Amino acid sequence: MKHYSEDELTLYYYGEGRRRAHIERHLDECAACAACYREIAGTLEMIAAPDVPERGDQYGLEVWQRIRHRLPEQESGFGWFGRFAGFGRFAAGERFLSFAAAAAVLMLAAFIAGRTSRDAAAPPAVGGAPVDVAADRDHAVARQRILLTSVADHLDRSERVLRDVMNAPDSGDISTEQGWADDLLTTSRLYRQDALEAGEQSVATVLDDLERSLLEIVHSPSRISAADLEQIRRRIDAAALLFKVRVMSDQLRERESRPGAASPQTPTQKTS
Amino acid sequence: MDATESAAVLARARQGDSEAFRALVERHSRSVFRLAFRMTGNEQDAEDVVQESFLRAYKQLGRFESRANFGTWLYRIVSNCSVDLMRAKQARHDQTRSESLDEAIELPANDLPTPERLAQSAEIQRRVQGALAALSPLERAAFTLRHYEGRSIDEISRTLGLGTSAAKHSVFRAVKKLRAALAPLRSQES
Repeated sequence: MKHYSEDELTLYYYGEGRRRAHIERHLDECAACAACYREIAGTLEMIAAPDVPERGDQYGLEVWQRIRHRLPEQESGFGWFGRFAGFGRFAAGERFLSFAAAAAVLMLAAFIAGRTSRDAAAPPAVGGAPVDVAADRDHAVARQRILLTSVADHLDRSERVLRDVMNAPDSGDISTEQGWADDLLTTSRLYRQDALEAGEQSVATVLDDLERSLLEIVHSPSRISAADLEQIRRRIDAAALLFKVRVMSDQLRERESRPGAASPQTPTQKTS
Repeated sequence: MDATESAAVLARARQGDSEAFRALVERHSRSVFRLAFRMTGNEQDAEDVVQESFLRAYKQLGRFESRANFGTWLYRIVSNCSVDLMRAKQARHDQTRSESLDEAIELPANDLPTPERLAQSAEIQRRVQGALAALSPLERAAFTLRHYEGRSIDEISRTLGLGTSAAKHSVFRAVKKLRAALAPLRSQES
């Protein structure tokens, strides 16, 4: 009588291997092979799949946050301008940030000026009839989109500065980060006021939290001690600020790209 | 994400569109983590594998054939990243790990509870984890794919880039080692 090897019986256990019908018959007839098979099967049945720790719905986003700045540069997909400006890697540092902050302020000024002049220039309604309601609505949506884009860009830049602070050496000079934070602080205040006026309460709340951290960074000594730096990091962590900034930026971009979705959020669309 | 949308997203990601790649990351992260955790048996290692796998996938997207299934392709990357990480860890912690396995195996047999309770106990899991940790990275990967993931030997060989015979023998060696390590528990049962 031909006996089957342990390897053949292992394959049989997993439903693989040839001559399965033969093996089955053989196990009915051969006590030695049947005992060996029972031992293999008994051991393998003891090995249950481990419980995998739960990961929530936001896990994909968290993973993306962790890797997005580490994507291999040669295939990052940024155009020539992005590479030239160092976008995505913050390579051009202060100069780029100053440029970006100035551009953001200009954009915001244009946004506010546009709104004010539009309101002032609007012809009076005749006999209570609506004056080009559709055009007004389009204009409002366009303005809202500018705000969404500008704030999302601002949040992205702020996130990079916060990350740099989080990853800074335990003690040393943070004057560069402070310069960036100072630039962002002015813009942040303007955006927060405008968000409040536009009814974007949740955006304003995140910007308010962000301002506190930026202020703390700006007002710390340039040659910061490990303990002070740790305190700043703890506060950023405790407020889940990086996560909030990222989620808000993503939500604004999503709204910006969705047709008709740029209008201010209602309470049921709460984001934070 | 339906099939058409998925194909469009993949096409954009292959052209270097990082936002499109982000959609893929968000869609596949949980399944990648599940496989990575089963492969490594450790939450922190699994997180490292998740990140490394997506970075590797992004870098190699140009090699991905659009007719293939992205999930299967990613599965292969995750498996190989897990093997690489386990190899690196093994090189660093070989001695420590073998000591802990010895400790796990040499528990006095008469301290063991009854077989019925054993089947449910944490002790059995501890021993299994110890035994799995003693496998070589390739053996563990092949065993995980066969035992937990239900992959055939052919699929394992394709996933790990091995010949069929090598894949089969990796599973066999793993089963042999596990049987030896868990024999004390089996003898208590019988």
